[in-house]
Amino acid sequence: MSPELATRLIDALGALLLFTMILILAAGQLYRAIYAVAAQSVLIALAGAVLGATTHNLDLWIVAGITLLVKAIALPWLLLRVIRRVGIRREIEPVVPITATLAIAGGIVVLAFHLSSSLGAVRQAITGNALPVGIALTLMGVLVMMSRREALTQMVGLFASENGIFFTAMAVSQGMPLIIEIGVVLDVILGALVMGVMVLRVRSSVDADIAELDRLRG
Amino acid sequence: MIGAYAAGATASLLAPRSARTARALGHSGLCVGALAGVALAIRCTAGGASGTTLRVELPSLFPFAHLSLVLDGLGAFFLLVVSIVAVAAAVYGPAYLRAHGTGSPAVEVLGINLFVGSMALVLCAGDALTFLLAWEGMTLASYTLVVSEGGEADAHAGLVYIVMAHAGTALLMVVFLSLASHAGSFDFAAIRAAATALSGPERSVLFFLALAGLGAKAGVVPLHVWLPLAHPAAPSHVSALMSGVMLKVALYGVLRLGLDLLAPAAGPLPPSWGWTVLVLGSTSAVIGVLYALQQHDLKRLLAFHSVENVGIILMGIGMAMLLARRGGAADALAALSLAAALLHTLNHAAFKGLLFLGAGSVLSATHLRNMEQLGGLGRRMPWTAWLFLTGAVAISALPPLNGFVSEWMTFQALVLGGGQLRGGAGLAAVVAASALALTGGLAAACFVKAFGVTFLGRPRSARAAEAVEVAPSMRAAMILLAAVCVVVGVVPGYVMSLLDAPVVRLLGGAGPSALVTVRGPLVLSALGAAGAGTALSMTAAAALFAALALLVWGICAWPRAAARRLAPTWTCGMTPQSRFDYTATAFAKPLRFIFAALYRPRREVEKETGPTPYVLRRLRWEGDVVDLAETELYQRLQAGVMRTARAVRSRSTGRIHGYIAYVLITLLLTLLAFGRG
Repeated sequence: MSPELATRLIDALGALLLFTMILILAAGQLYRAIYAVAAQSVLIALAGAVLGATTHNLDLWIVAGITLLVKAIALPWLLLRVIRRVGIRREIEPVVPITATLAIAGGIVVLAFHLSSSLGAVRQAITGNALPVGIALTLMGVLVMMSRREALTQMVGLFASENGIFFTAMAVSQGMPLIIEIGVVLDVILGALVMGVMVLRVRSSVDADIAELDRLRG
Repeated sequence: MIGAYAAGATASLLAPRSARTARALGHSGLCVGALAGVALAIRCTAGGASGTTLRVELPSLFPFAHLSLVLDGLGAFFLLVVSIVAVAAAVYGPAYLRAHGTGSPAVEVLGINLFVGSMALVLCAGDALTFLLAWEGMTLASYTLVVSEGGEADAHAGLVYIVMAHAGTALLMVVFLSLASHAGSFDFAAIRAAATALSGPERSVLFFLALAGLGAKAGVVPLHVWLPLAHPAAPSHVSALMSGVMLKVALYGVLRLGLDLLAPAAGPLPPSWGWTVLVLGSTSAVIGVLYALQQHDLKRLLAFHSVENVGIILMGIGMAMLLARRGGAADALAALSLAAALLHTLNHAAFKGLLFLGAGSVLSATHLRNMEQLGGLGRRMPWTAWLFLTGAVAISALPPLNGFVSEWMTFQALVLGGGQLRGGAGLAAVVAASALALTGGLAAACFVKAFGVTFLGRPRSARAAEAVEVAPSMRAAMILLAAVCVVVGVVPGYVMSLLDAPVVRLLGGAGPSALVTVRGPLVLSALGAAGAGTALSMTAAAALFAALALLVWGICAWPRAAARRLAPTWTCGMTPQSRFDYTATAFAKPLRFIFAALYRPRREVEKETGPTPYVLRRLRWEGDVVDLAETELYQRLQAGVMRTARAVRSRSTGRIHGYIAYVLITLLLTLLAFGRG
């Protein structure tokens, strides 16, 4: 694959990634946000594959495969299963109103592009515009975690953030070393399992929510 | 030596079976260890002016550093001081604890052995890591001893103590770790070599950090607040160790860092070091004795006197730092000044140990610490009274005892050193000398009060009236320390040779014994062969005092023509009561007026009169003085910390979204601040 084609493909994927992020932020129903983050993970896997094909880097192919399997298929499936098991409250309850979140997200995107214009030194030829997109994804993932009440939406935010970090790493250094990527993916799996189990258990014993953890405060 | 301490510590395991056996065994372990320490120290200091240096490599505990013990002249002298008081404490301990101990014997025995053992290790440490480990062991062991008697007040004292001590340790760790990173090794020899390459400001910053850290342990004003709380809380022989010896270990640190490890390769030390130490010393001396005057708790009073005496020692050290390596007469004066400081270290350990043991005897006989409830003990406890009086005379710097010798030497060093410095600096040194003189006078006033109110007059409470003399072993411990006071006081010339090794180790040049005893061992002369200083013979003074005492006794005992008649004091027809005696509060009143600006005395008088104002039904008086450092500095600091904590607490809602929002905002701000490149 020629570098020019790869650059154009990655730019297009970056735009799609931002679009999925907006879908996540704007989702009024929990399962929609999960579908959106699964789609985002597919796009990330694609981007990794494109870069892997261009630079003939086997590690990137492996990471793309893992991302596809874990973040696009296994974890969304797990989250959807938890929703079905719990069976109630499928609506997302925002702490910050959805419109306000979207406005903040717009601000973050503008900020990310503005900042990365001064970071020319670390950009790479192939993945030109991936850097601001990666930064914006990371920050918006945190924004999702901040602005939603449910534990599962927080998980979605964490996935999005992780995708953003992966994309940033691609932009800066053609991906992180394989071992680190695998470690990060393991972290995410563990986080998802813990959250899933916690939501199931907490729901089954007391009808509590993440937002009510503040009652534990000393 | 270490083995004996360890054996003593293991004796604590016996405690559940028999408290008495555990105490006896534990303290004999301590005694053997301390005697071994004395032997070791004398072997090291007696090796001529250069002293002998012992070196022992310890098995490596850590992969990154090896531990070693090195005992040179300086460490050996301090080890001697520690060991002498430890012997006395070991002899004193079992009987005292039997009479007055309220804590668990296991804790007491384990604590005191660990405490003395780790103090000895600090002095022998050959590398920074051993030093810090032993230092921490010393802090923790003494903390357990402070809280060992239980009680709310002791727990508070322990808390204040451990907070201050750890703050100091933290500073010391910063100093040693940065030195070690320069040197690439924890070993003192490597640090000494690497420190010569430090720049001037770096060196000074490290010294002042170390001084603050060590000062917190030494009880230098304004870092002294823990001292009058913690020292009285411990059992009395431990108080003697803490006050008489542990503070000295901190001073050892000042000398080791200031004059040895951090000192520039050549040329005089930065003048700011000497001045800081001198000013801190003078302030501590005057403030310490002024607060001591207003204390009515015997042990608390003694604890404040420790602040004072640490101040006096620091004055000597400061003057030595100012004069060191200037060449000519200044070098000799620096040696004199340092010798005075070291001698006062020994002296203070002896008389403060003696006084604390004396206070402990009073405590074990009456279970009272408040002087206002004591009185008249002199007749019931003559041994304790005489020994306490010896200590009081020594600490008040009155001839012919040891306190006078070292304060006289410090005084000479300050006045003559002031002449060397010239100009404003010289004047400042003379001001410090007058502060020393004021301190001596106030200390004498304070001990007139302490001795008079406690031992003279009539008993003010039933317990004081029923007191009996303490056990022979306790008396023996006090006699040992009193003997040190008398020997150093009467024949100081012979003790001087002990000071040669440490002084030569730190300053080079000639040892003080050559300078001070130039006119023979019986005469002290302040400036050696230069002859400018004054000379004094303590032995002659002692002989004079003895002759005078004999004369007075002779006149009194001379048979008179008229028969002597014993009759009660005429009291205008009333029955004499103990309430007629001067109380401690009343005795200190004039000084409370003079120094009102410092004391901020508070008093409350409640009067209840009958039908006419001339008939008094009830009168209640209450008054106290505040510790200015405590109210002005620490309470404000504490209030500030609490305010900040409350502000932070009100922001921390406990809601996870809030925390994530903080993360997001921090990320954005960081990107904005540093992302522009």
